[in-house]
Amino acid sequence: MLRLAAVALAGTLVMTGCANRGGSDSGDAENFPAKDFTLVVHAGAGGGSDLTARTLAKELEADLGRSIVVENRTGGGGRVGLTYLKDRPADGYSIGFIPVEVSMLGHQGADIKPEQYTILGQVMNAPATLSVPTNSPYQTLDELLAAAKQNPGTITVSNSGAGAIWEAATLALGEAAGATFKPVPYDGGAPAVAAGVSGEVQAVMAGVSESASAAGNNQLRVLAVLAPERVTSLPEVPTATEQGVDVVIGGWGLMGAPAGLPDSVKERLAAAVQKAASSESFKDVMTRAGNTPLATSPDEATQFAQSEFERFGEIYR
Amino acid sequence: MNAMVEGFGALLSLEMLVCVLAGAAIGMLVGAFPGVTATMAVALASAFTLTMDPLPGLAVLLTILIGAQFGDRVPAILINTPGTPASIATTFDGYSLAKQGKAGIALTASAFASAIGGFVGIAVLMVAAIPLSTVAMQFGSPEMFALVIFGLTMMIEVSGKQLVKGLIAGLFGLALGTIGRDPMDGSDRFTFGIPQLVEGVPFIAVIIGLFGIAEVFSQMLSKRHASQKPITNFGRWWPDKREARQMVKPVAVGSGVGTVVGVLPAVGGDIGGIVAWNQAKRLSKEPEKFGKGSIEGLTAADSSSNAGVGGSVLTTLALGVPGDSVMAVMLGSMIIWGIQPGPGLFSNQPDLVYSIAGIMFFATVLTLGLSLLRMRGVAKLLELPNRFLWTVILTFCVVGTYAVNSSVFDVGVMLGFGVLGLLLRRYGFPAGPIVLGLILGPLAERNFRRSMELGGLESIYTSPIAMGLLLLGVAAVVLPRVRARMKARRQRPEDSDTPTDPPVPAGASR
Repeated sequence: MLRLAAVALAGTLVMTGCANRGGSDSGDAENFPAKDFTLVVHAGAGGGSDLTARTLAKELEADLGRSIVVENRTGGGGRVGLTYLKDRPADGYSIGFIPVEVSMLGHQGADIKPEQYTILGQVMNAPATLSVPTNSPYQTLDELLAAAKQNPGTITVSNSGAGAIWEAATLALGEAAGATFKPVPYDGGAPAVAAGVSGEVQAVMAGVSESASAAGNNQLRVLAVLAPERVTSLPEVPTATEQGVDVVIGGWGLMGAPAGLPDSVKERLAAAVQKAASSESFKDVMTRAGNTPLATSPDEATQFAQSEFERFGEIYR
Repeated sequence: MNAMVEGFGALLSLEMLVCVLAGAAIGMLVGAFPGVTATMAVALASAFTLTMDPLPGLAVLLTILIGAQFGDRVPAILINTPGTPASIATTFDGYSLAKQGKAGIALTASAFASAIGGFVGIAVLMVAAIPLSTVAMQFGSPEMFALVIFGLTMMIEVSGKQLVKGLIAGLFGLALGTIGRDPMDGSDRFTFGIPQLVEGVPFIAVIIGLFGIAEVFSQMLSKRHASQKPITNFGRWWPDKREARQMVKPVAVGSGVGTVVGVLPAVGGDIGGIVAWNQAKRLSKEPEKFGKGSIEGLTAADSSSNAGVGGSVLTTLALGVPGDSVMAVMLGSMIIWGIQPGPGLFSNQPDLVYSIAGIMFFATVLTLGLSLLRMRGVAKLLELPNRFLWTVILTFCVVGTYAVNSSVFDVGVMLGFGVLGLLLRRYGFPAGPIVLGLILGPLAERNFRRSMELGGLESIYTSPIAMGLLLLGVAAVVLPRVRARMKARRQRPEDSDTPTDPPVPAGASR
């Protein structure tokens, strides 16, 4: 029995691997889509990016009438997946989830830039939040900033890992406020939040999804959301801008394809992405995961990724 | 009490039964497939369970995890390849037992030890969640560093009598652990521009290579010596009274160690199994048998990695902090379902906690039953002629490793480490310390350097827990040596022990 089942499992794995190899490669815009899609995700199954991509894929399948095979190409903090997507044929059948790293990795020694992709639209934002342990003496962002200015480099702020977006967010907040924090990298977002809960660090920089649940448990006090406006999962927490520090930063997600997609294909896909990202079920999953669902046009999203690329150039200068 | 009735009562439906059955079937298959980990299976399944109600959804996910931790013992015992990292320590004794014609007993004992460990974990989850979770919060970076250093002293036990070769292998593992992005400043170390190495050497590929592939290669090369099958017969299926009694102590040690290790955030069943194997060896009357087919070693390791499931569920529910990588995925699902794990859960929704415990209990009973039932089916697999069997094992390992990251690079690493593993065992180097170094080295470095950032050396020597653990580590290294020397002075030893060498089965190196 085990043998049979194992052979069946092996067969399924091989089949899913090959499923989208068939079909003709003719870039005929009339018949697009003529075969199944591959959706490349830079992160492992089960994470926030994977969830976004898979939820969106379900909606896209309904619209495009073809199957979408999600392929997780993990490694190198997004480098492996983004490089893989960049090098796929620009025929529209290889699409990908493009994370904030597309604007960061180019400044960290990798050959990755937003212009190497055809960007189809932005689907979500994951704003950064700054929190302190519940028993922390700092009640407001101002008080924490004052302490960081008084003793530069002594206020420890945990983040999910070296080179990751939340570390950059700590630097950006410090820069905007004229204060110096001491970022402390952990091995993922959850351990970074745990370090704040236990009081090992004085503050935590993390995504809304991570800090909102700790705040709900009264384990953390969120001082500021680094978003343009307040977020639904933390309605009573003011933005940094409201508190006089002009900084908006966080993770985000675009949908894209390799550069040089034919215009007709790009239009068809962009319309599908926009429709999928506006669907109630996608918005519902995103909101419940603590992210902000979005559905912007390809031009807006391309401009946004480029401006973020320049901004991270400043941060990592 | 009311909450308990309500919580368990919520499970009495056909839907729940179907969910648990489906989870158990998926879990046991996935577990038996080297390379495909429980984390991966749960992550992929969570995409489907999100649209279900929370309880049936949790039933599927939890049962997959528990099923995988039964299924992964099978390849560990029969072909020396851990099905998931949680059964690394199972190979230490399980495969040797199978080689000695005791595969039947090994499988039965492993299934029962896993189940008992699981029950202990669940019981602790129901009774002591809140107090234990406060202990977990005491473990900051300095304490974790000390714990990992204590763990590294296991290299000595795992090396057995081949101390020098074991330590060389351990240093090699530690060196491998330095490959990848620097944990503090983010720069690349020893990656030679290969992006796949930025997040470190692919761990799953390394263990499958060192254990499974090396074993297959070794058998292929030694074919001319004798037609050596991995296991020629299964022997008895049920342990006799003496053997059953032998298991009591190691299972108790394993369950205890496993629960505690499981409770610590971000530490999984792989470490739990190895630590328990080592503790059981230290406490055993027959430590010399460990690594050469000791039922004690096998049951300690297996009870521990399953007790760890209860422990990590405890941490996840009571603190909202994932107890290991599988629970991190499950935590994501729970938040989307609107379940808020954390200290409040136990006071606001005690019935949910009991439901979860109930699901785990039911899943454990069911998978234990399935394990015992299908053992004879597993036996058929090994009656294949060698040339088919090797092909099947190699195919499984290649497909499983590829599936982790859809990466051919990982398959290359696996084959490379297969060759290395073969060379190592020919020259008498144990593979266990390499894996220990690779798992524990990066943990030690990260926590040490983080401690230095947070409070310098002071943060370590002012922490009673950290100092206690470091002293225990020193004692673990020094005491056995002192005792051995005293014993040697009293009597000329006549015991000419052959080297203890867990991962290398007796007779494989010549």
